[in-house]
This record gives sequence, C-alpha cells and structure tokens, in this order.
Amino acid sequence: MKEISLKGLDQNCFIETLKNGLEIIMIPYKDKKNYYMTYATRYGSEINSFVPKGEKKMTSFPNGIAHFLEHKMFEQENGEDPFTFFSKSGTGANASTSFNSTQYICYGTKEFEQNLKFLLNYVNEPYFTDENVEKEKGIIKEEIKMYDDIPESVLENKLREMIYQTSPRKYDIAGTTEDIDQITKEDLYRCYHTFYQPSNMFLIIAGNFDPHTALQIIEEEVGSIESDSTNIKIKDYKEPKSVCKKEEELSINIKVPKIGLGYKFSKESLGIKDELELDLYLVMLTTLLFGSASLFREEARSRHLMTNFYNEWDTIKDYKTLMIFSETENPDLLIGEVEKTLQNIEITVEDVERIKKVWIANEVKMIDYVDSTISNIYDDMIRYHKVIDNKIELIRKLNKRKLDHLISNMKFTNRSKIIILPKKIITKEQ
Amino acid sequence: MQYVKKDLGSYKLHMIKTNKFKTIKTRVCFRRPIKKSEITMRNILCNMFTQSSKKYQTKRDLAIKSQDLYAATIASSNSRLGNYMNTEITLTVLNDKYTEENNFKDSLEFLSDVIYNPNVEGNKFDDEPLEIVKANAKTALAGLKEDSNLYSVIRLLENMDEDSPISYRGVGYLEDLEKINGSNLYTYYKKVLDKDLMDIFIIGNIDFVETEELIRNYFPIKTFKKQRAKYLIEQGKNRIRKKTIIEKEENNQSKLAIGCRVIGLSEYERNYPLTLYNIILGAGDDSKLFREVREKNSLCYYIHSVPNKLDNLILIRAGIDKENIKKTVDVVEQQINLMRRGKFSEEDLNTAKEYFNTALDNITESEASIIDAYYMMELLGIDDIETRRSKMAKVTVEEIVRVAKKVKIDTIYCLEGTNQ
Repeated sequence: MKEISLKGLDQNCFIETLKNGLEIIMIPYKDKKNYYMTYATRYGSEINSFVPKGEKKMTSFPNGIAHFLEHKMFEQENGEDPFTFFSKSGTGANASTSFNSTQYICYGTKEFEQNLKFLLNYVNEPYFTDENVEKEKGIIKEEIKMYDDIPESVLENKLREMIYQTSPRKYDIAGTTEDIDQITKEDLYRCYHTFYQPSNMFLIIAGNFDPHTALQIIEEEVGSIESDSTNIKIKDYKEPKSVCKKEEELSINIKVPKIGLGYKFSKESLGIKDELELDLYLVMLTTLLFGSASLFREEARSRHLMTNFYNEWDTIKDYKTLMIFSETENPDLLIGEVEKTLQNIEITVEDVERIKKVWIANEVKMIDYVDSTISNIYDDMIRYHKVIDNKIELIRKLNKRKLDHLISNMKFTNRSKIIILPKKIITKEQ
Repeated sequence: MQYVKKDLGSYKLHMIKTNKFKTIKTRVCFRRPIKKSEITMRNILCNMFTQSSKKYQTKRDLAIKSQDLYAATIASSNSRLGNYMNTEITLTVLNDKYTEENNFKDSLEFLSDVIYNPNVEGNKFDDEPLEIVKANAKTALAGLKEDSNLYSVIRLLENMDEDSPISYRGVGYLEDLEKINGSNLYTYYKKVLDKDLMDIFIIGNIDFVETEELIRNYFPIKTFKKQRAKYLIEQGKNRIRKKTIIEKEENNQSKLAIGCRVIGLSEYERNYPLTLYNIILGAGDDSKLFREVREKNSLCYYIHSVPNKLDNLILIRAGIDKENIKKTVDVVEQQINLMRRGKFSEEDLNTAKEYFNTALDNITESEASIIDAYYMMELLGIDDIETRRSKMAKVTVEEIVRVAKKVKIDTIYCLEGTNQ
C-alpha cells in the first residue's frame, strides 16, 4: 500500500490496487467521528451499446438501464435489505448514476468494519427476478416524472439533446418511461456482468477508520473475485463536430422564461493536451467571464437581465461543451450580452491571480469535510483516472499567457440555443 | 471543544474553540416576533446585506473584497422559528494559519461593515441596489409555482390554518413588495438593529480573549433589548373531520402533502419520543412509509415525514401518480394508525435510536451544525448533546405510543398533475 500526501492540505492518502484490478483510495482522518465510503463502477447511462461479457455481438440496451440497475442492486436474495441493514447502526446509504459512472455509498459513525463488508457484498451480489424488476418500474417512472416537473432539468436535458448528434450524452440518465418498460432481468444481468468487475471499479473511503484493517477486509471480500474488463468493447459513437440543432423555442408550464446556450469545441482544437490542465484553464476562463466578480454579471444584474445564472463544462470523449443557463424576462437581450462577452474577452493578470488565490483557499476548506473530499477524489478518478495529489501546485502554475493562447483558439460559433417560454393561456373551446 | 458564553449587554457572544476545522465561522443572528406584513421587507433587507454596502457599492465590489480575503464568504438567510423571524448573517473564512496575519481580523471588519455600514444616504437606502434586489424577489415570487414541491407545502399550510404563522409564506408577498422603498426599508433596518434580539457565534481555532476583544470592537452595540414572546406556536385545535383539498396544475407528477397536528406534547415528548416516532414513521432510510408506500406498493419515488417541532406539526410529502392519490393516502393513514396501536417492534425503536445517535455524532463534524445546536440551546433551552443522547436512549415503546395517539391528520392537500 502506497502512502502519499495531499500536498498543502495536511492530509495523507493510501492507495492500493488489488491483483484483480480493483483500485482502493483511503483517506484516514485523525480527528473525525464519521466516515464515508463509495464503491463505484465506470459505467453510466451513456454506455449502452457494447459487447456483453462472454458474447460476441455489439448490442444496444434501452436508455436508462444503468440507472435501473443501480436501483435493483438493493435487492438481495437471502441477505438483508441494504437499507435495513445499514439503518441498524444508524448508517445512511444511497446510490447514484451519472453519464459515465455509478456509485454506492454509505456513511455513518459506527460499525465501520461490518458496514464496509456489507457494502462490498451487496454490490457484488445481484439478484434480479421478473417480479422485482416489474415492481421497480412504478418507482422509477415517478422519479422520471419528478424531474420532468423541474424546469432546470428539462432545460439541461433539452440543451444536451441539441448539442450532441450521435453520443448517448444526449439522452437523460434515467431514460424515458417507454425505455423503462423494455428493460428485462436478462438485460440487467448482462450489463452487470460486463461492468461490475473489480477491474472496472474503485473504492474510496475517508474519515474515521484504520486503513490497514480496511484493506484486509477488502482483500477478503473482493480479492478472490476474478475480473477482466480490459477487453470490453464499447461502441464508438464518432460524434461529429457540429452541434445537432442550432435553435429551438418551446413552451412549457413555467412562469419565468429560461435560456440555454451550448458552445461545442473539439478537444484537439483547444491546443492543451493534458485533460486536467485543459479543464483548469476552461473553468478559469468561465469563472473570469461569468463568475460572481465578473463585469458581465454586474452589468446583467444592474439591468435586471437575469436571475439564477449558471454555467458548466460538459465533457465527452473528444469534446468540451460550455453550457450556460439562466432565467430571464428578456431572453434575446441576455443572449446578446453573453455573445458580446464571448466575442470580446479581456483578462488581466490580477484577475487570474485572484481566482488562483480563491481556488487554493477552497481546496483547503474542502478537506475539512469528509464528504466533499470524497466527491472531489471521485471526480478525479472518473475524469483523470488517478488521485490528483498536487492540485494546489497545479493551480499555482496557471498563467495568463497560456490562458490567452487558449482563448485565441476558441471560436464561439458552434452553438445551440434554446429558449423556453411560459405557455400562453389557452382558452377553452368546444 | 470549549464553549464560553458572554453577556455583552445588547447581545450574547458565544465562542467555541475547536481545532477540528481550518476555517473560522462567525454568525450574527437577529430575531423578533413574526408579523406577516414584515416578512417581505425582512427578505429584502436580508438580501441587501449581500448586495451592497457604503464601502462596497456593488455586488461585484463585495465579491472582489471577499476573494481578496482568501475566499471569505458572507451569506445571509431568513427563516421562521416558531413565532419568530430569524435572520442569520454568516462569515466563513480560513484561519490565519492558512492565509496571512490579520486576514481573520480584516474579514470580521468586512462583516461588521456589511451589517452596520449599509449603502444609505439621507436616511434611505440607495435605489439602484434596492431595485435589483426587488426585481429578483419579484421573479422569485412569480416563479413560485415552478417549484411544485415547495408550492404544495405552502398551500397545505394555508389550508390548515390561515391565521396562524405556520401559513405565512416565507418567500413573502407581491403586494408587500411593491410598497417597499429606500426610506421605509431604512426605518425597518434601524428597528431591527435597535430592537431585535441578537446573538453572535464564533467557532474555530480561536483565542477567547483576543476574539472577544475583536467582537467588542467591531460590534459595539449599546441598545437595551427586551422581547417577550413564546417560540412555540399556539397549538390550535383538532378538526372533527379531516379537510381534503385538491388543486390542479399542468404537471407530470402529483404532489401529496399531508399535515398532522400533534396537540398536547410535553417538552420532553417534543424533544425525544416525537423525534423517534417520526424516524420510525417516515424519516429513516428504513421507515414504515418508505417500506409500504414505495417498496411494497411502488407508488412513489420519494416519501418522507418531517416534524416541525415548534409548530406542533408533522408534515408528510410524496410525489405520486394522480391515479394513486386515494390509494397512497390510505396506506399513509394505515401506517399512522398502526403506530397509534403500537404496531412497531422494539427493533424498530432501536434502529431509530441508532439513527438519532448518528445524527448527534454528526453535529460535531461541521461548524454550522455546532452553531445551530448551541443556538437552539440558547433559544429553547433544549439539552446539550450528551444529555440528549442519554435521555433518548431511555425512551420506551409506551412513550412513543403515547405520542402516536396525539398525531392526528388535519389536512390532506394534493397538487394534482394534469399532464397525461
């Protein structure tokens, strides 16, 4: 087991890879009562065409199946229901599915060893029947409907659908109610056996525990499971460069209009090869342009142009997409302001240095909390396939020269634009 | 962890020393008895603190100042605590060990500035920032129905008792918003500073003597304050017949909100058996409602119950299909009845106790929740963490059944989704 220090954060981290490929990251804290653990697979909603383990043919599965599988993992044949088991020691449990990963978490203050054992066991033991698969459909349909009533969720899904042509990133993580109806227990087992193999998974634990004891338990529970995920064939969607749809306007049951803008860039056009470095510069750019201290925000605010403005970078294999969302009474005016900002980027050294200071401070603040530490490392494992132990150093190295160079490579022309308006009141006829 | 409380005349200073965190959190709390007509005004004031000050006139100026202090943050929020309106302004900043000497002191000065040196000229708040805050509030009010979850609870409470503070809308009211201007806001601001009860909390790796001196220096308030009103809401009356209200909205999902009254609780019952009752019924991961409504009957994705202790209420919420409204209500009622008849096991109670225990453990893992715990001790005189742990451990099945018998469904509200 390798012990490394998370530099600048007064915190150490243990790393180990089992023979079967399971990666383990452990961050024991000296003065915490609580612990938090996540057991994850690199399999999420956008991986739905692949050659299932032991088969030869490329097969497509219904959208939403990774999420459905996550729900069904809580079903146990002889054992105890995970929620019931964890509750007995006052331990919380949960799970979540993203576009490219699924995780099972538990967090508590007691019975660390038996909970770790249980977490590993239940995720390693699927039990699907026609009956329990059918039963879950009602629950998941309500989950889908819940999100369909959240305007921001509709907006984000719609924009992704417009940006991507072939990538399954364009579909909602949970699928549609029609997708859900097609899912069978056989499908679930095929997906499970392909992606829930130790070599495709990792485990992160942080908080109050002893890493040596933990490693021993993990070895005992998972060490003997055979695993070979090196040859999983996943369909390459060959996403084209241009956005799928440039403009759309739609009316739904909302009260305040909303906009979404997506600017799609191929990674190679951006000129920074290292993924992490590229991400840092991209986020630096949008923080400077649209963050709390930006001129854009100040102006838009003083002209009452927006509320609830936010942006994020969406990453798929060969692309980075800047997605911007806002609520506004004046969609055209606001979009005009965003465009103007993107066409006339001016950045000062002082601005860059201030953001660096903020980011470093935030890294230090974050390490105080076990759950945020885990979620940070989780993101790193998914995006960069390793623990980034020198993030503060990397932030310190960021500079205006390189940022300027990146900006010179960016043309904000490959764009999708969506406007969602409140429905007009329809007077009853007939 | 060491705790010291000082009465500084017009406010109490609570200092908590711990070396578990790299940040220092300072929270200034103001509170006064609630008036429906003041809610909107108070919301605007609360947002003005973080919109503009005399020295930092725009939100951008405030943001840059925050960033220069190594990402110090100042956040403000309003909430209702029983019969009181409560405003909290919180500064979070890294300990000087991770920044530079005097960064904490400068941050406290910044906090004091934000509160005591507003953007006021000639006894009135400057119009420009005020109009921004008002415009945002107007949009929030216009968009209220977009959050169907929140909206359904608001409508439930309005239907339960429209005269009681439980039904007051925390987001405020459009007709009150339109009346707010720079001068009446300033009058209200002065009233808050002069008359509101006030507490200041500081937690982190601090020196008590130094910190007290800093606070006395940056918060030199001399007014004498006295207010007498109970925190607990009047408990109201049980209805003879349950009230059922269905309203329609063009949504995909129907939002069910059930309000139960719990009348005649003793102080002990409120803090211990009621909490455990609620965990068993609908708060735990393995609760009766989760098991029966979701797992057995596949009626929903989420269902949970929350006790509003100061309001003598339990609220139950679920997102369901409109075809299943009656069925869901039936299952919920059945579960409440089973609890009343004591149909839960010793094991259910033990699980609930473990759940409670973990919640108590977790209090000391975050600065914000430690402050919350001390604030509730100050306001309501509730027990400290370890006393709570030992009293809770002794709660019996009989005591919970006694509480269960007091839980009565008052109003069933459903915001029916009419989309097919």
